[in-house]
Amino acid sequence: MNRREFIGSVGMAGMSLPFLNAGSARSQSARAKSVIYIFLQGGLSQYDSFNVEVDQPVLGKSTIIKSNVDGIRVSHYYPTLAKQMDKILVLNGMKTNQGAHPAGIYKMLTSYNPRSTVTHPELGAWVNKCLTSPHDSLPNFVSIGNGRAGSAGFFPGQWAALPVKDPDKGINFIQPNKSVGEASFKKRLDILAAVNSGFEQDYGTKDTRSYVDTYSGALKFMGSEDIDAFELKNENPRILSLYDESDFSRGCLLAGRLAERGVRFVKVNLGGWDYHDGIYAKMPANANRLDKGLSSLLTHLSQKGLLDSTLVVVSTEFGRKPEVNPNMGRDHHPNGFTCLMAGAGVKAGQIYGSTSKDGKEAAEDVLEVNDFNASIAWRLGIDPEFEENSASGRPFLLANKGKARTELFA
Amino acid sequence: MLKILVILMSVGLSAIELRAQEPETRSEDFGNEVEQDAWVAPRGDKVASMLVVASESAREIDQLVADELMRLGQVPRPEIDDYTFCRRIFLDAIGRIPTIDELESFIADDRPDKRPQLIDALLNSKGYNSHWYNYWANLLRVKNVGDKLHHAGNFSEWIKDSVRSNKPYDQMAHELINASGELYKPGNGATGFYAREPMPLDHLANSVKTFLGMSVECAQCHDHPYEDWTQQDFYKLAAFTSRTKLRVDPLPEEEKETYAKDRKILKQRDFDEWIVYRESIRVKHAAIHGNGTGFTRLPHDYQYDDGKPHQVMAADVLFGNMPEVNYRMSLAKLAALPKNRFGPEINSRKSMADWMTAEENPMFTKATVNRLWYKIMGTELLGPLGGLSLDTMGAHPALSEKLITIMKASHYDTKVFLSALFNSRTYQSKALGLGATPPTYTLDGPVVRRLSAEALVDSFLSLKTETPDKYVATEFRWDGFTNFYEKSQSMMVEDFVDYSIKGPGRGAFQRREEKEAEGRNGKVGPAELWRVSTFGRNYTKHWVSMLMGKSNRELIDDANLQPDIPQILYMMNGLGIPKHGLLHRKLRSAGDRREKMEIIWKAILGRLPKDSEEPLTENAPDDIIWALLNSNEFRFVR
Repeated sequence: MNRREFIGSVGMAGMSLPFLNAGSARSQSARAKSVIYIFLQGGLSQYDSFNVEVDQPVLGKSTIIKSNVDGIRVSHYYPTLAKQMDKILVLNGMKTNQGAHPAGIYKMLTSYNPRSTVTHPELGAWVNKCLTSPHDSLPNFVSIGNGRAGSAGFFPGQWAALPVKDPDKGINFIQPNKSVGEASFKKRLDILAAVNSGFEQDYGTKDTRSYVDTYSGALKFMGSEDIDAFELKNENPRILSLYDESDFSRGCLLAGRLAERGVRFVKVNLGGWDYHDGIYAKMPANANRLDKGLSSLLTHLSQKGLLDSTLVVVSTEFGRKPEVNPNMGRDHHPNGFTCLMAGAGVKAGQIYGSTSKDGKEAAEDVLEVNDFNASIAWRLGIDPEFEENSASGRPFLLANKGKARTELFA
Repeated sequence: MLKILVILMSVGLSAIELRAQEPETRSEDFGNEVEQDAWVAPRGDKVASMLVVASESAREIDQLVADELMRLGQVPRPEIDDYTFCRRIFLDAIGRIPTIDELESFIADDRPDKRPQLIDALLNSKGYNSHWYNYWANLLRVKNVGDKLHHAGNFSEWIKDSVRSNKPYDQMAHELINASGELYKPGNGATGFYAREPMPLDHLANSVKTFLGMSVECAQCHDHPYEDWTQQDFYKLAAFTSRTKLRVDPLPEEEKETYAKDRKILKQRDFDEWIVYRESIRVKHAAIHGNGTGFTRLPHDYQYDDGKPHQVMAADVLFGNMPEVNYRMSLAKLAALPKNRFGPEINSRKSMADWMTAEENPMFTKATVNRLWYKIMGTELLGPLGGLSLDTMGAHPALSEKLITIMKASHYDTKVFLSALFNSRTYQSKALGLGATPPTYTLDGPVVRRLSAEALVDSFLSLKTETPDKYVATEFRWDGFTNFYEKSQSMMVEDFVDYSIKGPGRGAFQRREEKEAEGRNGKVGPAELWRVSTFGRNYTKHWVSMLMGKSNRELIDDANLQPDIPQILYMMNGLGIPKHGLLHRKLRSAGDRREKMEIIWKAILGRLPKDSEEPLTENAPDDIIWALLNSNEFRFVR
């Protein structure tokens, strides 16, 4: 018997993963099964990436290149994605009310302004809570890479993201310590069960039992076939060869593998976009990571037939100013920026929304953060007005009164 | 008295021993135990009387509990044995399990008053400072916040100083509410409480929750749905603090006259130089300005009949007696002025602090005893920590009344209050597992509760070393911000320019200040032997304690004591107790199997193996250590 079979067979039957609680809130019309949410922390420069339909000076040192879609042009920093724009919907009229990083990130990920009397769940945590079913053997909210890990806000901690800092290392401590043999591990669990049952008789509480349950859940998780998702090397060589070795690309690969196994919300963090100075010296390396990683992911999902049921989202807390400052950088710009969507039936190969030609503000089809988040939830079949109360009884809506923009989808 | 303590805790609390030998000496070494400490010199009478007061109070508590049990026809819970007591009191007083040496010396002690003596020793040890720093820092939400320059190091040190000097809690609260002036001035760290959050109304709601245990945040935006508070009540309270703000840059005139020109030149020239210039000036000037005008205005969207949008309101308290407010402008006169006027500053914030922390303010003392009872017993005495109402006295009003009296009589000395609780038979009763087959719970003792994240992680230290509290600081610790603040006091405008242009750049600038600060602090010892509280000083996120559910200090009472999968995976597959540590050294020098097993059980669970556990002792020591560390008995206090 190998370790996995053994752990899977260890007693404590009838226990389920503590992830599994809520009933399904999903409606029949849902088109997306999973969301892969790429978050570009720091503030993507829209005028050096996907919004080039502005006055020439706004583009700084970016030059315009054609894409594989007539009428869609992008900055020359994204040559690989330029060949995949037929899969992408460009949202050029994004707008937020926050101009500083922590507040902007918080707003983008939770739909609410930060307050110090309550913390709000991230969109991923809402999705996790709404869509987790008893059959799931993997957590439905995973956050890959460094950055805000995926907070459950006022929800119980079980709805927070499972953090995976390094996609090549997978989940921390998922394997038993190497020095511990199989027989020894089993013995340890037997001793543990004996000590715990003695304690339970005299001092058992709801909380002590919840620990016993979570141990069962953790053991089940360790033994689950599905954690193979975290073993990147087990991917089909043809798919593997699509990706380069950057951490971000490896994170995208992992995200694709998780989506394939039905994980609902995978966040992939790619930070470092806050270029207040020397943007044209510093940005190309990061742009290259995004260009390659996202392209590979889109190809991966199409080849596996998953793009139709997976909504790929690229977002950032705000954009960057139309002027290049004296230090050759761009400062924060919440009034008009760019996000992307792909898959799950979005109107691919199109641009939705625009900024004024001087780049100063979102002009047509303005999409505010709350509506953006509501649209993602709606596509997953979740009511954006889904309501939950905080511990003190204050009601909060999933998208903070945001309305789904259904016209983003075909 | 000192000699007795030295004998009692000869190995474990080596701090006491060293103090007794060399009370005057002081070392530069952070790790060295020798220190000046307030309680060594004036001890004698003060502490002896504290013990007397505490034991009288403890008896009064016990009498009330016994009366209540009698009335309900319930049998008193059994008293705990010395093993259980020792583990419990170490966890509750100093936030970690006893080392095996500390446990054995307590068991071997045959004096009849060894429990009160241990309580007293622990309350006056460095471990207490560490444990209770965590408690207050979580309640006051000490953390670096946001883009604006707010670095919490000085705030953190202010709390540590307050705990070390056993500052009365009412004074601590008053200083926090009324703090103003420079953020990074050494000793002025109480300003961090205001700087902690950018929104004044949120800050007010949090202050009310922290100090009065009441939830009024709903009334920020609308009349409170279940309580009596109206939005207008909230705004009247806010009037005490109006126009208090964190300003990180110099005041406008000073900015214009002295800094603006260079700022502009540098911004046009080089980003890095500009940033260094801006931040170095900010470290000098960041401050809490304003201390209340005593007036405020209703919000632009005010919707009730009892007022109009922008209408001027004079300060008023939520309940009780209005403190004195020395207005310099009349309400009528202010009402005639444009809608952005709030009147001149009159330090009405101090008036609010007077009201909030007064002995006559029933909620202040109620909230305090409710919190401390919860921390020690694991249950609510009066009600939810942040959701008390005016008239509540809890399930056992006479007991609540007594604890309030004890707190007031101690003049808000939390050590005296804790000593009364710890010395009570009520505290020293068998813990109740709430929810198993629950009898009616009558506030007659502690319940089974999970260790705080900090206590859990600090307890690993008790298995690693004889001296788990060695690296708890005994004096003010400088950090880069306080260090540079002090330096900046003698700096001219040109010096700041030089700092930016000829300086080492942003990152190196900060690293240098931090390094200088570390130099002033002396050696700090190896990080694997620090208690969690010591990591707070460096703002390194202590990831293992975060994994165990440490408060992330976003909100009040934000710690999470529930399990999750990553936490359990760490406990099963990640946690290691080093072979060169205390536990393994003990095992290596032990004789037979029986002796080894007793060492493991005592070190980890603080008791001997039970008869029913006899068969388990046949297993390999490493397997047993793993199992006991993963057991509920380890992570819960019983």
